[in-house]
Amino acid sequence: MYAEHEAATEQTTSDPMSRRHFLWKNGVGLGGLALTWMLQREAAANGDGSVTGGLHFPARAKRVVQIFCMGGMSQMDTFDHKPALEKLHGKKLQGRGELRGFFGQPGLIMKSPFEFKRHGKSGSWVSSILPNIATCVDECCFLHSMVAKSNNHTPATFQMNTGFTLNGFPCMGSWLSYGLGTENDNLPSFVTLPDPRGMPAGGSINWAAGFLPAAHQGVAFNTSGSELVRDLRTPADVSAAKRKAGLTLLNDMNRKFLTDNPGNSDLAARLRSYELAGAMQLSIPEAQDFSGESPAIRSLYGLDNKASEGIGRNCLIARRLLERGVRFVQIINGGAFGSPRINWDAHESVVKNHTKMAASMDQPFAGLIKDLNQRGMLDDTLVLLTTEFGRGPATQGINRPGRDHHPDAFTFFMAGAGLKKGFHYGESDDIGFAVADKPTTIHDFHATVLHMMGIDHKKLTYYHNGIQRRLTDVHGHVIKGIIA
Amino acid sequence: MYTHSNKCRAAWLILLFFFFTRGPVPAGAEGELPPAAGHQVDFEKEIRPLLSDRCFKCHGAKKQKSGLRLDVGASALKGGDSGAVIRPGKSAESRLVLLVSGADKKVVMPPRGKRLTPAQIGLLRAWIDQGAAWPEDPAGSARIESGHWSLQPVRKPAPPAIEGTDWVRNPIDAFVLARLREKGLKPNSMADRETVIRRLAFTLLGLPPSPAEVKAFVDDKDPAAYSDLVERLLASPHYGEHWGRHWLDVARYTESQGFEYDRLRNNAWHYRDYVIRSFNSDKPYDRFMMEQVAGDVLKPVMSDGIIATSLLVCGPWDQAGNSQRNQTQRLKTREEEMEDLVSCVSQGFLGMTVNCARCHAHKFDPIPQTDYYRIKSVFDGVIHGERDFGSQAEREARQEKVAALNAQIEKLTARVGELEKTARERIHARKGKKAPAAPAGPQPIALWNFENGSLQDQVGGMHAKLNGSARVERGRLILDGKNSFASTAPLGRDVSEKTLEAWVHLPTLDQGGGGVISLQVNNGSVFDSIVYAERKKRAWMAGSNGFVRTRDLSAPAESSAPATAVHMAIVYGADNSISLYRNGQLYGQSYKQGGRISYRKGQAQVLFGLRHNGASNGFLKGEIEQAALYGRALSVEEIRTSFSSRGSFVPLEAVLKELTAKQRDTRAALMAEAEKIRGQINALPRGGGKTYAGRRQQPKPTHRLIKGNVRDPAEVVRPGALSVISDPPGDFGLAENAPEAERRIHFARWLADPKNPLPARVMANRVWHYHFGRGIVGSPNDFGSLGEAPTHPELLDWLAATFVERGWKLKELHRLIVHSSAWLQASTWDRKSSGIDSESRLLWRYPPRRLEAESIRDSMLAISGKLNTQMGGPSYRPFSISNFGSSFYKIKDQEGPQFDRRSVYRMNVNSGKDPLLDVFDCPDPSVKSPRRQSTTTPLQALSLMNNSLVQRLSKSFAARLQQEAGTGGAGPIERAWLYAFARKPGGDELQRCETIAKEHGLETVCWVIFNASEFLYVR
Repeated sequence: MYAEHEAATEQTTSDPMSRRHFLWKNGVGLGGLALTWMLQREAAANGDGSVTGGLHFPARAKRVVQIFCMGGMSQMDTFDHKPALEKLHGKKLQGRGELRGFFGQPGLIMKSPFEFKRHGKSGSWVSSILPNIATCVDECCFLHSMVAKSNNHTPATFQMNTGFTLNGFPCMGSWLSYGLGTENDNLPSFVTLPDPRGMPAGGSINWAAGFLPAAHQGVAFNTSGSELVRDLRTPADVSAAKRKAGLTLLNDMNRKFLTDNPGNSDLAARLRSYELAGAMQLSIPEAQDFSGESPAIRSLYGLDNKASEGIGRNCLIARRLLERGVRFVQIINGGAFGSPRINWDAHESVVKNHTKMAASMDQPFAGLIKDLNQRGMLDDTLVLLTTEFGRGPATQGINRPGRDHHPDAFTFFMAGAGLKKGFHYGESDDIGFAVADKPTTIHDFHATVLHMMGIDHKKLTYYHNGIQRRLTDVHGHVIKGIIA
Repeated sequence: MYTHSNKCRAAWLILLFFFFTRGPVPAGAEGELPPAAGHQVDFEKEIRPLLSDRCFKCHGAKKQKSGLRLDVGASALKGGDSGAVIRPGKSAESRLVLLVSGADKKVVMPPRGKRLTPAQIGLLRAWIDQGAAWPEDPAGSARIESGHWSLQPVRKPAPPAIEGTDWVRNPIDAFVLARLREKGLKPNSMADRETVIRRLAFTLLGLPPSPAEVKAFVDDKDPAAYSDLVERLLASPHYGEHWGRHWLDVARYTESQGFEYDRLRNNAWHYRDYVIRSFNSDKPYDRFMMEQVAGDVLKPVMSDGIIATSLLVCGPWDQAGNSQRNQTQRLKTREEEMEDLVSCVSQGFLGMTVNCARCHAHKFDPIPQTDYYRIKSVFDGVIHGERDFGSQAEREARQEKVAALNAQIEKLTARVGELEKTARERIHARKGKKAPAAPAGPQPIALWNFENGSLQDQVGGMHAKLNGSARVERGRLILDGKNSFASTAPLGRDVSEKTLEAWVHLPTLDQGGGGVISLQVNNGSVFDSIVYAERKKRAWMAGSNGFVRTRDLSAPAESSAPATAVHMAIVYGADNSISLYRNGQLYGQSYKQGGRISYRKGQAQVLFGLRHNGASNGFLKGEIEQAALYGRALSVEEIRTSFSSRGSFVPLEAVLKELTAKQRDTRAALMAEAEKIRGQINALPRGGGKTYAGRRQQPKPTHRLIKGNVRDPAEVVRPGALSVISDPPGDFGLAENAPEAERRIHFARWLADPKNPLPARVMANRVWHYHFGRGIVGSPNDFGSLGEAPTHPELLDWLAATFVERGWKLKELHRLIVHSSAWLQASTWDRKSSGIDSESRLLWRYPPRRLEAESIRDSMLAISGKLNTQMGGPSYRPFSISNFGSSFYKIKDQEGPQFDRRSVYRMNVNSGKDPLLDVFDCPDPSVKSPRRQSTTTPLQALSLMNNSLVQRLSKSFAARLQQEAGTGGAGPIERAWLYAFARKPGGDELQRCETIAKEHGLETVCWVIFNASEFLYVR
């Protein structure tokens, strides 16, 4: 039956992306899986056996891990050192252009409450709250000139995740899953690890596949609960013998239905989906089985420290998932916007908030980078640290040591596969208010991530309600300057 | 199209070089300007966008530098401070051309940004040379021509003449067969009756046929049997539920705000019910469209019309973005909101992606940017939020009906009272007690007397259970004031006016805050309670959430001895008055404060000894002898009667025992009748209430926004519709400040005009889509050039024309389709045909398809006998809600009939998706989904294998089968097959299932059925 479909599609076009698209768009009835197998066979047949040959050109990275610092990490208190703030401390913020704070009550300019030092051979500035990431700077490529569209958490988070500021668009992980499929059928291709302290605002909206088929949505692992993935475990009152008897009958009935109703590829995909489900029941729990991890590794990830244990576990799970072929892992650092704050949204106090948030992720994320490096995985893994926007140079209100949202200049870093090391790209102005050099949009960032994965962001498209949609909307340029 | 040749460009560059190197050149010499374009220039398409992008910023509505304004024809042609800039017919002498071309060395326009290209200058020149025609109205008279198929008027083509076959049953078949023959394809013959009835039931109702229906249809050899079946299913209320759900996909119906907070929209469900009602009553589709666009202003305004306009605000709403301080960002948030609205209306009704023209002219379809803004102008007065619905007339009519029905209920309950009264009197007589002073006494809806250790509600089903160390002894409920209380089963009917009553002993008077009897919403967030000494020592009060209905009263301090019961009652009157009574005497003063709460059936309960759930200081130390809840406000006399008749209450069981069998039957029949009437009251359309239909305001004139930028407004745009459609005209002749209501009324009429080529085609195609799994146009929301071309254009037109002819009735389309051979044929696959048309787009077979997520869940409930067919009303909420800045929805598989309703009644929350529905491609509520995906994934398998609902329903299904067909042997399995597959078991199925049922229980067979492909697919 597959032969039939392939024959049909080959007549249509030989470009692999168009073929994929053709299949999806025309709803042949193929499930995501059937498609994935086909792509894998295609890749295996075409090249060196590696699935990640890249869609449009050779890939530099096979997989991506992203830590998303929810709430708005302050650039001038982490990676973007601004000595001018010390001189201007306590002065009014004037003549710099429109203020895009959320609460619209700018106070006085505030220097960073943290000490900055140069680190590594690259001499990169990092503030004192990130001592472990500071030891990784020579692996990192910093983007100091990021600009976001919105000053409002959720639209900005949507943009970071999906390229759009609205509900209903597919996440970057979904696009990658759609474009590249998975390397391991026994695990989802896109996994999200929410912060154990709480779900981000909007919950599952943050890893939705939008209008892409549901197979590409992020699967959230509940690492603090009793079951990683819902409905993964066989219910306690169903014995192994009972389940086996049921599955055997089911398999025979489904097989017979397929034989009686030829010409329906998804019926075959259904048969296979039960085999994969069985495999997932074993392989998903294995992701958090740390019994084989040494004490040194555990402490590398900060598991022996209460403040960093939660994100540490998730970072270690992330590595284990990446090793096993998961395409995109998103580690969320921060929950929703309630009180007390459990994310980087430092309206009240930069010192209190950022010290605590940094302590939750500094050791774990640095550990992840080092661990990937020592395993040789950093060469083909793309590591991303992102946030939805930065924070303003002035206090929020008078006599309040917090900072408001600021989408006009902030910092990300990327590391690993094919990127320049210990490199700094773009600049913000003397006080981190506006971009001084090489403004970089979220679209540019997305285009670059896709590029590193061997995808031309303009060609990875999906038709929805009148438009060939892209992760990058109609924008985006690959940031060539950071590619080694 | 104008193309600028390379040669030309080279010449132009040389000229430019000449300008800049040789000094000034006298202006006005034709040879130095780029040549005029060689075609008839279209002002709307080619000139206005150019002027607006490059000139309006300084010479537009906001600024008129040098006195020049270029966004309005008259002023543009008049010129600026230094005279005319456009000389019609003479481009080479027009200052506009000279300035933009650089021919005037001193001034170049535009002063910043890129210079105009030679091609653009050529366009301007050609336009001026052709007379500089400036259409009066930017939105209307300069119409765009388009040859695109969907924009041509709908004609009704004659069905092709087909000979030599009896396959053609109606015109649909003639069109289909003609196309098949063109391709050398042959259709299948008819499917068997089992397949047909299953296909029909799923297509029309989204539910499987019952075994009885299958058997009746298969055995009925009457040729009219099929028509009868079709009519029966079309008349089923489940039809509206299933097809309403399809429309809700298009309407992006959501019941939460989305974005950061994702708060619930508690009153959005009225729209869902409106949609279901409309489908069930086969409301003409033109009316359906008009109501959703302007039902709140089309006379006569009725509830349904107001509720219908919820469509406009069904989408997500960014609460944080709308409330932030930054104005630019707020404006942007509003623009995003409007894009959501414009896309829903234009894609939903017109199949046109007008939203693509927000920043520039549509790239593929003949939709100029102004079209987006004129449609936006139609809806610019619509803002998110709740509003009241209902008219005075409707409210009065409802009140009249309710009063009549209540009178009937009272008569019935009085007769019940009479029956019981005689029984009570007999019991009292036997015990030698004196019959109570007021024999019937007020009739409570629930009463607990704790006699003989009983926690039973003596009247209804609100039985209590003990918590902490609470216990029942000596006919009293004993409460320790520390952690003990009793709570009851949910309220059995809606209660609003009410009376709470209790006899209570207080062993110590110096305690505070305890509740004697409370009626609370299940989680305790809202409650009314008889509370002792919470705010004032030794004083009674009517406790309430946040003290909203609580007042401190002046009354003597409580001084009763522990051995003496105090009788307390609180009456919550229809006029919102609250009156406390102690031992039959008014306690303090009656008062009105904070309104009155309506407690809903199933969503509230009674507590004893605890003020409300979660009140750590709300425990009572005391003993309750008797307590009651009345569903109405008792009068003073009734309170007194009740007070003096204490202890004379005879438990219901005793009363029933005293009655004869015949009396018991009469009593049950009377009660059932009363319950039925209560149901009728509930089902009456509410004469009013709140609904999430948005609010309206008179908007400021709408500007086109250059590149969609809120800080870059261009000319003002008047409300209107698509300019490419000339009949009915998309120009409504309305002024830029036309009243808000007028705009939507005009738009509604324009939509519903039978001459409008789009709505009938779009809707006929949607209907076809849900019948065959694929529309004649495969992209139901996009009839533009990027959408799919129709596979059967003539058939689509025939359907659209017939649809309108027959009064825009959807059921007419259903009848036509399900009586066609195209629809009735078998789904048998054929290798050769598949090689030509693998997806059966031309319908050489009926294309099999997987059930939609909702149908999977609903069918499992239905065949397990668990489906609660209650229609309408507030959505069921299979989750708990927590708030941490945002609202979080923790999904639970909750047991109980209130959760076993059809999935269309599920609270549709953006971040609270049902995992079972979700894996089967139930879309995000905020995504406009004209077409469901159909994926196959291992997560689906895991869900069907392990999901708790599937486990539970496997057992229910098994129990039902055993009840209906015996506990062993072939019976239950044969019945299961009829329920799930509409056929008898074949091959070794029966024998294998019997073995498995014997070894592992019948529920294992049921579990297999829920997982079977045959169950999940329609063929």
